[in-house]
Order: sequence, then C-alpha cells, then structure tokens
Amino acid sequence: MINPFIYFLLFLKASLFSTGGFSNLPSLHQDLIANGWAKEVDFGQSIAIGQISPGPNGLWVISLGYLTYGYPGAFLALIAITIPALLVLVISAGYTHIEHQAWVQGAMHGVSLAVVGLLLTVVWTILHQPGVDWKGLLIALGAFGLALSRKVNILIILGLAGLVGYLLYR
Amino acid sequence: MRLQDPGPGKWQLFRIWASIGLQSFGGGASTTFLIQRAFIEKHRWLSMEEFIRLWNLCILTPGINLVALTVLIGKKLGGTWGIVASLAGMLLPSATITCLLAAIFKQIEHVAAVQAVLRGVIPATGGIMLLVGLNFALPLIRRGYKEGVLYLLASSVLIIACALAVILLKLSVIIVLLGAVILGALFFSRKPVSPLLVEEERGKQQ
Repeated sequence: MINPFIYFLLFLKASLFSTGGFSNLPSLHQDLIANGWAKEVDFGQSIAIGQISPGPNGLWVISLGYLTYGYPGAFLALIAITIPALLVLVISAGYTHIEHQAWVQGAMHGVSLAVVGLLLTVVWTILHQPGVDWKGLLIALGAFGLALSRKVNILIILGLAGLVGYLLYR
Repeated sequence: MRLQDPGPGKWQLFRIWASIGLQSFGGGASTTFLIQRAFIEKHRWLSMEEFIRLWNLCILTPGINLVALTVLIGKKLGGTWGIVASLAGMLLPSATITCLLAAIFKQIEHVAAVQAVLRGVIPATGGIMLLVGLNFALPLIRRGYKEGVLYLLASSVLIIACALAVILLKLSVIIVLLGAVILGALFFSRKPVSPLLVEEERGKQQ
C-alpha cells in the first residue's frame, strides 16, 4: 500500500535536491523502488510520455505519479514540483548579498558538476530498463546523433525510434 | 526604447503562460525561446538584461528552472496574483495533457504493437538525455580549459565520481550533492574577486 503522505514527501525531497527537470530521477528511482511503489519500467515509460507531451521537461514526474499511483499520484507530483520553485523568491532576496563570495562560486561549480554526473546516472537507469538489448543501445546512439545535429525535432526522433521499435520487436 | 505596454491583467498572464506551456515540446530550449519572444519582444514588459538576471537566480533554485522563472516573471508583472496566474497557466494545461497521455498509455500498454514501439522509444530517450547531460557539461568544460589542466581534471573526476557513487555505491543523491557542494567550495573557489571588479559588475547590472 502506498502511504500518500510519505509518497508526496519522497517526490518533494527529490525535487528540492535537484536542479533542472531530470536530476530528481536518481533520488525518486532509489526511494520508490526501495518502497516497492514503482517498477523499473515505470521510469523509462514516464520519461517517454514526458517527452511527447507539452510543457517543461520536468513534467515527466506527472506521468510517473500517474503510472505509480493514478490521479492522486499525478496531483501530488504536480504539487511537489511547484513548491521548490517558490524558493526562488527567497533566493532572489538573499543571493545578491553573497554571490561574490569565492566559496559560493566554488560550491555552485561543484553542484553543476554533480548535476552532470547525476544526468549520466539517468542515462544509465533508462538504458538499464528491461527490454533494452543491443539493438536498443544502437537506437539510443542513433537518437543521440540525430539530437546532436540539432536539425531534427525531438518529436520526429522519438517517432522514428518508435517506428524502428515496431519493426524490430513486433 | 519604445514606451512599455501597460502591465498585463491576470487572465492575460494566464493565457500567455498557457500558450507557452502548450507550445513547448522537447523541453527547455523551446520554452526559453517562447518566453523571450512573448515577454521581451512582443509585449516589452522585460528587457533582455532583466531576463538574464532572473534566469541566473533560477539556476540556483532547486527543481525545474523554468517553473522558478515563471514565478519570478509572474511576480514582477503582477505581484502575488501574478505568480498564481502564471504558475497555473504554465503548469495546469500541460500537466493535464501529460496525465491524460499517461492514462491513455495505461489503457493500451499491453497491446503488443505498443510494447514494440516503446522498446524503440525508451532507449531513444536515453540517447536524448545523454545530450542533455553534454549540454550541461560543455560550459563547465570550457571554463576548465580556461582555468588550467588541473581544474579540468578535477572537474571531470568530480563528474565521474558523482555518477559512480550513485550507480555502484548506491549512495543517496542528496549526500552526493552535499559532498559536491563541500568539494566545490574547497577546490573550485577562485581567489577573492577584487573590489574594483565587483563595482564594475554592479555597474553593469544597474
């Protein structure tokens, strides 16, 4: 059974200690799997759904909320990603006083590097989904190349990948 | 500069943010572009300099940077109700569609064809995510080049160490982030900026 309060707190914690839309994934992955409230496949599917729906990237957690806990899950996820954003009001009030301190700049650099490392774990989690074999890895490589070229729209890349998946695995 | 438009009403803010949210596919870059076009170019409620200053604050804020930006622009243009209208516009329509897509998916997920399509789409999102990471890394690596080999090496080691700490050691993400804050403050702090430079920066901001 999912405890809605703890469930919400896990989403809130992941969002509070993240920056950008995807860096909450490693934390959610650890906690939800540990509680048995999410399956490994839920993560890949939520991100795929998030990619084809409108809005900022971070809305993928709405579909994670739905897939793991239905409409209440989606709603709790939405609240959990909204609250941390309000902290920007506190930060904009306080940051101007400390932004020129050397240690603040250094700490920010450290966080930015950690975010890159955490994004690599997101890639790892997705490519470790059940059902991703060597053909899947080639698809990932192809999608990376197409996205890198900046000439092909993300939706078209995902459409092509879906088509390839249909032809390979049906 | 042309005379500014009068400030927006709450409904107008809601409508503008809703159209930005619904038009942004593929995340960050297109959303930022739409925000700049609406608030700076079309309505001239913000200058580019103000936008960049707000954006820097959002990078420091936990969670989704674009949602924090929505809060700041909403506050600037309409106070507390501006925040409410902007957040509702940016999040509710797009979140509803995301949720409905997940619901539709749940209905059809056991169809063999859907499973096959997904087995293609999921690794592709992994590839796209790799590019997202690379985009984050590039400015950091560029800064590393400027600061010297040791700095670049230390930066790369920290990236890899954070990834391995989560994947292999199963360390909690929060511990990894706190560790990065401490290591960053210890090893990446530059010498104190000279007061003259600080004054210059302030001059630029005003």
